[in-house]
Amino acid sequence: MNPKTKQRFNNLLLNALALLVIIFIVGPLIWVAVASIQGESELLRKPQRIIPRNPTLANYNYVFTGEIPTDTEVKGQTIRSRISQEARLIPASLKNSFIVATAVMGINLIFGTLGAYTFSRLRFRGKILTFNFFLGSRLIPVIAVAIPYYVIIQTMGLLDTYTSLILVYLVLTLPFTIWFLTLYFNGIPEDFEDAALIDGCSRFQALVRVVLPMALPGLVAAAAFAFMTSYNEFLFARFLTQSIATYTGPIIIAAIAGNPDASYSLISVAMTLGLIPPLILALVLRRWLTEGLSTSVTFH
Amino acid sequence: MTQQQATVRPKRSWGHFSQRIYPYLSILPVAVVIALFAIYPIFHAVRMSFYQYILTKPNQHPFVGLENFIDVITSYYFRNSIQITGIYTVAAVTGVVIYGLGVALLMNAKIRLSTPLKIVILLPWALPAVVSGLLWKWILNSDFGILNSMLYAVGFIDSYIPFLADPLLARASLIMAFIWKEGPLVAIFFLAGLQLIPDELYEAARIDGGAGWRIFRHVTAPLLRPVFLVVVVYETMTAILTFDTIYVMTGGGPADSTALISWFAYAEIFKALNLGHGVALAIIIALITLVLIILYLRVLRTEESTITG
Repeated sequence: MNPKTKQRFNNLLLNALALLVIIFIVGPLIWVAVASIQGESELLRKPQRIIPRNPTLANYNYVFTGEIPTDTEVKGQTIRSRISQEARLIPASLKNSFIVATAVMGINLIFGTLGAYTFSRLRFRGKILTFNFFLGSRLIPVIAVAIPYYVIIQTMGLLDTYTSLILVYLVLTLPFTIWFLTLYFNGIPEDFEDAALIDGCSRFQALVRVVLPMALPGLVAAAAFAFMTSYNEFLFARFLTQSIATYTGPIIIAAIAGNPDASYSLISVAMTLGLIPPLILALVLRRWLTEGLSTSVTFH
Repeated sequence: MTQQQATVRPKRSWGHFSQRIYPYLSILPVAVVIALFAIYPIFHAVRMSFYQYILTKPNQHPFVGLENFIDVITSYYFRNSIQITGIYTVAAVTGVVIYGLGVALLMNAKIRLSTPLKIVILLPWALPAVVSGLLWKWILNSDFGILNSMLYAVGFIDSYIPFLADPLLARASLIMAFIWKEGPLVAIFFLAGLQLIPDELYEAARIDGGAGWRIFRHVTAPLLRPVFLVVVVYETMTAILTFDTIYVMTGGGPADSTALISWFAYAEIFKALNLGHGVALAIIIALITLVLIILYLRVLRTEESTITG
């Protein structure tokens, strides 16, 4: 083989491999979206159709309005019992997730920025100790503190409230946010702030007026990480939520699927609705997230 | 000097004072939250582990010493879950490192599909683990799963395979779900490492007559070592603590074949309703991960000293 053919063959092979990986990544997501617009009887065929013959929005209609899909008969038998009531709780649970995640994100941005700036620029007694203390707290496996946390929250009378979820997600996210933003601020030259400080700005003013605008990409990435961690968390939510007042998306989705007789089309709807927000976030913020993740591994 | 300034211009002293306490003020809220909800619970957990806490006997909490730990460690489930967690962790971490490195190399290669790959790579990472676990459970379903459907349609199999009902296949499925979910992060980490390697090094290697595999072995691999270590530490922790995926995919079954240690802890709490056992187990898990982290940091440090020294 001459070098040029070999090069071309190599390229073909690598592209084929990349295509396989893309199918492996996207395939499951596409299938669940496709399954969600098929009727239950279509999904109970053997083998199933990958391209739906009668696409329908009836499953979504059920989730939002409670109207039972007409396609509930298989071989003359009604499968009304397969309708999972929990599916109707999806919109409310996703709203809960959204509120909690947004609050966690906002608080992370405020206190994370404030703390990270201090760690990055100022010298004070106990600095290294506090920094390691923050970081070290993340080494504790969540399952180890789940029960005592439950007990504490119960004593405070905060079970089944947004506050309890927000507090625990702050513990999960703040150490990472502070560590990440400290690295990010370290990469921003101090000259501009020095000028501002000489002009009579306080530290806080220098941070808000000079550093923040320059750190925008890092802030976006940190905010997205905090949001996703809270939006996706399951174990603590399982302990701390007790009703639809606070049930988060993952809890309801797991509950729908946990019903052994659940409708496959409704499970697919639940999953599709649950994965849309993080997928949009991942696609829109792709560059910043990738850059953020890269920063966190190469700055060691 | 400060005093002198203070006596001359009292206003300055307030400025100086606020400058001194500003650092502490700025980190105080975070410190309070972490101390209250991360550190205090640990002491609480250690205390609880020495008492009997069974939810069916709510008013009796006698001190039992190390009994919870002894009960847990000597049980069949503990030996079983330690074994399974060990096998699972080794297989899952090996798998995800190989997959992640491969995907990173593809993203870094000058090929047409590297950009689409970069666009979709983060998607599995962004999903809740509950959703990705269910996704695979649904795809692998033994009666109505699309994977069985497709294999059957093209004639690979005569009858549907019960992926999640067979102990070995169930474990393999869990590992695949882990690779699918965690692969993106590993790939991004390796890609970041690859992009730090200067092109000149590759050129020099090529001029010296190196090609393909040999360049990878002698140029790429050694320079990726620091990233590799970070990835292994992080993914080992993630694998040992796998819980959400098991909760939705297998529920620890079939026949406890996927009952990893954190699932065991969960079952003690929610199924046996024995909080004392659950907390004792959780502390054991914490100690295991802590020991592993210290070991890795040791390796990392000797590694650094051999490079620099």
